[in-house]
Amino acid sequence: MSNITRINRSLHKQFGGRFCVVPQQQHLSLQGESDNWHAIVQAGRLAAVLFKGEGGVVNDVHYIGEQAQPTRLPAVQDNTLDGQAPDVLVIGGGVIGCAIARELARYQMDVMLVEKECDVAMHASSRNDGMVHPGLDLKHKNTQKHHYNHRGNAMFKELCAELQVPFKRSGQYLCFPQPRWLLWAGKFRWNSHGIPSRFYNQKQLRRRLPHIHPALKCGMFFPTAGAVCPYTLTIAYAENAIENGVRVHLNTAVLGMDVHENKIIAVHTNRGTLKPKLVINAAGVFCEDIAAFAQDRFFSIHPRRGTNIILDTKFSKLMSRSASTLGTGAKEGYSKHTKGGGVIHTVHGNLLLGPNAVETIDKEDFATHAQDLRTVFGHQTKTSEALHPAQGITYFSGTRAATFEEDFVVRRGLYTKNIIHAAGMQSPGLTAAPAVAVDVAQWAADMLQAQPNEDFNPQRQGIVDATSLNNFARNTLIRQSPDYGIILCRCEQISKGEILAAMRRPLPCDSIDGIKRRVRAGMGRCQGGFCCPLITQVIADELGIPLDQVRKTGEGSELLCGEIKPT
Amino acid sequence: MSIQTNVAVIGGGPAGLAAAIAASKQGADVLLIEREARLGGILKQCVHDGFGVVRFGEKLAGPEYAQRFLNELREYPIQTLTQTFVDKIKPHPLGWKINLVTAQGMRQAFAKAVVFATGCRERTARQIGIHGTRPAGVLTAGSAQYFTNILGQLPGHRCVILGSGDIGMIMARRLTLEGAQVLGVYEARAMPSGLPRNVAQCLHDFNIPLHLRKTVTRCFGYPRLEAVEIASVDEHMQPIAGTEERIDCDALILSVGLIPENELLETLRVSIDPVTRGPVCDQHGMVAPGLFCCGNAAHVNDLVDYVSESGEIVGTAAAQYTEQPRQHAKIIAGQGMMYATPQKITLPAGKFPLYFRVREELGKSRVVVRLGDTVLAKKTYLTLRPPEMERIALDLSQVALQEGQEIMVEIL
Repeated sequence: MSNITRINRSLHKQFGGRFCVVPQQQHLSLQGESDNWHAIVQAGRLAAVLFKGEGGVVNDVHYIGEQAQPTRLPAVQDNTLDGQAPDVLVIGGGVIGCAIARELARYQMDVMLVEKECDVAMHASSRNDGMVHPGLDLKHKNTQKHHYNHRGNAMFKELCAELQVPFKRSGQYLCFPQPRWLLWAGKFRWNSHGIPSRFYNQKQLRRRLPHIHPALKCGMFFPTAGAVCPYTLTIAYAENAIENGVRVHLNTAVLGMDVHENKIIAVHTNRGTLKPKLVINAAGVFCEDIAAFAQDRFFSIHPRRGTNIILDTKFSKLMSRSASTLGTGAKEGYSKHTKGGGVIHTVHGNLLLGPNAVETIDKEDFATHAQDLRTVFGHQTKTSEALHPAQGITYFSGTRAATFEEDFVVRRGLYTKNIIHAAGMQSPGLTAAPAVAVDVAQWAADMLQAQPNEDFNPQRQGIVDATSLNNFARNTLIRQSPDYGIILCRCEQISKGEILAAMRRPLPCDSIDGIKRRVRAGMGRCQGGFCCPLITQVIADELGIPLDQVRKTGEGSELLCGEIKPT
Repeated sequence: MSIQTNVAVIGGGPAGLAAAIAASKQGADVLLIEREARLGGILKQCVHDGFGVVRFGEKLAGPEYAQRFLNELREYPIQTLTQTFVDKIKPHPLGWKINLVTAQGMRQAFAKAVVFATGCRERTARQIGIHGTRPAGVLTAGSAQYFTNILGQLPGHRCVILGSGDIGMIMARRLTLEGAQVLGVYEARAMPSGLPRNVAQCLHDFNIPLHLRKTVTRCFGYPRLEAVEIASVDEHMQPIAGTEERIDCDALILSVGLIPENELLETLRVSIDPVTRGPVCDQHGMVAPGLFCCGNAAHVNDLVDYVSESGEIVGTAAAQYTEQPRQHAKIIAGQGMMYATPQKITLPAGKFPLYFRVREELGKSRVVVRLGDTVLAKKTYLTLRPPEMERIALDLSQVALQEGQEIMVEIL
């Protein structure tokens, strides 16, 4: 019985006659009609597990249920980029795209990065838990996820030192409710291939994590796990790329491509048509759309939403290290492709809970739901009963770009010659990003026969974090620049000097949220209640614009509606 | 660059101003520290009237009320540091060492007693579980007030106000006066959570509808707010499925409660009252030896007049502070009480005001303060409502209180 017949029989058995697969060149097309998105995802997954081929499973099902929101596109329409012909065009300003752009700068190539949003790190790269994973995937050892996670993890210390990004390799506990999980742990250890780990019994565990749930009987500690600030890393990559000659264009969306004889010859954007030699697809949840433009669609994305909750820094002592729990039974609101997040100790001293996993049709479904919060709390209180919803200061959702194969797609094009995909990025995409970028840049350099760039400078100067300085150094800084002595964000102690510094970087930043992501102003417990009006004034003064033109994020997000009635 | 003083007051709002003046009246060296460029605290943006009725017997606007204290402040040798942020505070042989961030550099102050007059902050959209998108146009009433009254900017044309706290109702009136349309004030409770005078003067007089037992559950629109979802709530304040309605608006303004801001004090490991969310204080506002707390940082007051009173009591006590062993009795909020403050009494007790709020709205009722079976004070009220803080002047100078004894405040 051929592979395809077997898949179709399984689909028929599970879903009636609703879905079937049709082989296409080297990938598989899932076809049928359904109003049930979850069924489509399950069918795609079933086909992907059974399919053995070069490509993956592509979702060609006619979906007749509630449609996704239209993709958010920049309003600007001009021809400022028309006719430009960079050697490499990177599509997507997430951590993957920005990391690739920076690694490409190590070679003598003309590199351009386009991002449809008003800033980098607007999607999954700022909507995740910031965990640097140790690489625990036992079942799927031959996956790209496992490979890049392992390599990426090892790169973080040096990378974050170069880019001046906060990173802590503080380790992660994995706790189990029954001793029989020690078998899992033993098996893991046997197979771990160099991922260091330690066993702890309940007593040892409780000594290290006093607030751990009493039902947890034993645990393992992975010292190579860590935490990084994901959007700072993305911004740092982008800034270092710009400093090394990469052109980054925000508010620039790819709208189509011309492909001739399996080669992309033109890329259409809202700012004109580009003629790159090579295209790199790092478009996150939109990577399937980019692949389709390039006539190289051999995988499909089914977005998976996750919600994270951030607790007040006051409660960080509840858990001195990151911890998660395995084996506490079925997890409602979590897909089986997640171990259920955990209690993460962030680099900024908050505890972060999450994320859960909910399939969604909408790629930009960043709305939060009361049910998601209950799910996340319900699950994480199995790690510690001391956690309480009232400790939370905020929460957010993001979407993972999951493929039916549940693996990354880091490879050259299957049908189209001049494209490289860095697609299908989901957990542990952040950990994998540095290693993925190195490989992709290497392939690109090989394809274009580019020479190394001798002038490449891997060092980036970050924005000074005045609170991390000792009194003497902080005093010296304020004496040089008194703005560092004017605190505007009281919760996170962010000065006017830091806010102005954030606006004067290689990558432009002129919005309240942009400043928030760069220097944490407004991220504290009052959530910008006090500092938002003050920062609005600083932005207006710095840019020389009226107050009612200051934006929260991008176009159309002006905070104010103009002056009050004249007196 | 270091400053030595008897009393350091952190916060230059109404509580801090009163505390600094009172301490200086006692002859103490006083340092007043304010993080903003100007003194006056949140009063600066409260351009409406109604301040000072209890204290001065007349209705003043916020800045006018503050100005009376600023004028008085000038008559005393009080050292004032504005645009100065307290970064850390630590015990020190001289009392307390306060690390200051200023535009001129880092400074240190050493004080025998420290008064925390740090006020409160507003609860946010996240803390009350508003879901959906994260557009521009969702802001707290205090931010909206700053934008409108200090910066002269309108936060929206069609506004929904969630929460009937005083500042929410005041902003409803203010935005209406400035040309915005206020579609309604929504309150999840069965009763308005602000003062009755504000319901009358801010909402009824301007025909702004007040919707009780309704809350905002969701925001729609991105990047700017386009609509909110309103739902009725049950007695546990949970939204009732099927009652959702969508209201088109471009601003959502939240007045959903105030939280005393004591993060700095908490770093000194004092105990926080879970109900008031302020520290556990004695009748002089003393939290721990040499540490004092007053105004809205101790518990959220309904009128600024009481904030000033608390500042005066605490400032006086801080100026007189000496290190000595102390004995305490307790005050317990009994039947029907949400809280009663001070939570403890340093002996000897003397005269002091007792503040309390009740748990739910009551008709004619009698509040009794008793020690065992001995009634120390009683007061009859025609109505008692949770939004209104009540005050009883206690005189315990004739009562032989002992260490650890419990005084009960309850409704009969």
